[in-house]
Amino acid sequence: MSVRLQVYMLLGALALLVLIFILLKRGMMAVKYSLLWLGLSVALVIAAACPRILYMLSAVLSIEMPVNLVFLLMFCYVLAVLLSLSIAICQLAEKCRRLTQANALLEKRLRELEEHSAER
Amino acid sequence: MKKQLKVLVIIPCYNEQANILNTVAALRAAAEALPFTVDPLVVNDCSTDASAALLRQNGIPFLDLPVNLGIGGAVQSGYRYAVANGYDITVQLDGDGQHDPDFLGTVLRPVAAGELDLCIGSRFLEKKGFQTSFMRRVGIRFLSGCIRLLCGERVLDVTSGFRAANAAVTEFFAVHYATDYPEPEAVLAAVLAGFRVGEAPVEMRERQGGVSSIGKFKSAYYMIKVTLSLVISRLSMRRLRRK
Repeated sequence: MSVRLQVYMLLGALALLVLIFILLKRGMMAVKYSLLWLGLSVALVIAAACPRILYMLSAVLSIEMPVNLVFLLMFCYVLAVLLSLSIAICQLAEKCRRLTQANALLEKRLRELEEHSAER
Repeated sequence: MKKQLKVLVIIPCYNEQANILNTVAALRAAAEALPFTVDPLVVNDCSTDASAALLRQNGIPFLDLPVNLGIGGAVQSGYRYAVANGYDITVQLDGDGQHDPDFLGTVLRPVAAGELDLCIGSRFLEKKGFQTSFMRRVGIRFLSGCIRLLCGERVLDVTSGFRAANAAVTEFFAVHYATDYPEPEAVLAAVLAGFRVGEAPVEMRERQGGVSSIGKFKSAYYMIKVTLSLVISRLSMRRLRRK
């Protein structure tokens, strides 16, 4: 791997890390959801700074081209993120349902109270 | 004098402006003859037609959901209302005119007498009235077979939304109720929770107006989704025996 490519990779990985910190600082991302992304950007920085790890790992797994290992890992990672998002959506939908129902019960009570006080 | 049982009738309503007033009127007429205090409760699932305005003008008690939850979420809000207001029996009746309120007593009686915890109004017990299309009957028989396989209880009309639940089942449904196509899953969940589930013969009618929630193209999706959720709820619930 050429030094120039390595520098670009390192810069890209650092940019992602900085972006996530900015999002966290501005409150646009909760720490809960940022952990996966922080983990990814740290892993990217390490891989860019020290690509030997990838070469060794691909040799261990007997993957011919180290780049294929990178693609495989990225794909698995994206799947994990998608799965965690599905779980988060499901929990949000459940909370939303409970809130809607509670709101409807309150709305009926309020409506009847208003009608009652209007009659008096 | 014996205290009259308080009965809440939940009528889920999504764009049923053509039927909803008739249904409530027929229900009130049918309730006259019964020895219970029957309160209708329409659950307006964020209808886009004039349903809400009609309900308001006619002074019919209703819950107004601010966002559309689908039939499961709508009916569950009714069960929650029943728990919050101390009803003895909760009945579910569709707002589209398919369920004849004249059979309210038939569905209520086994629950009021304490013979069943959950009584389902079945159109297949006496095979009278509208029997739905052949394909749907095949689908319903398949789901009924699934439920028999999964919990051993024989329920014929598992998709019927005409059902009466006692206070314990009402409390159970207020917490556990499926979201999308909940009827068969609710039957299985009630059996697995140890409730006595049975059927009473009713006649149904073809819907009087409006559009069914399940079109032709959704049928396959419906069958797959319901079968899968039946298997999953069997796996996730241990059978509790109530003695």
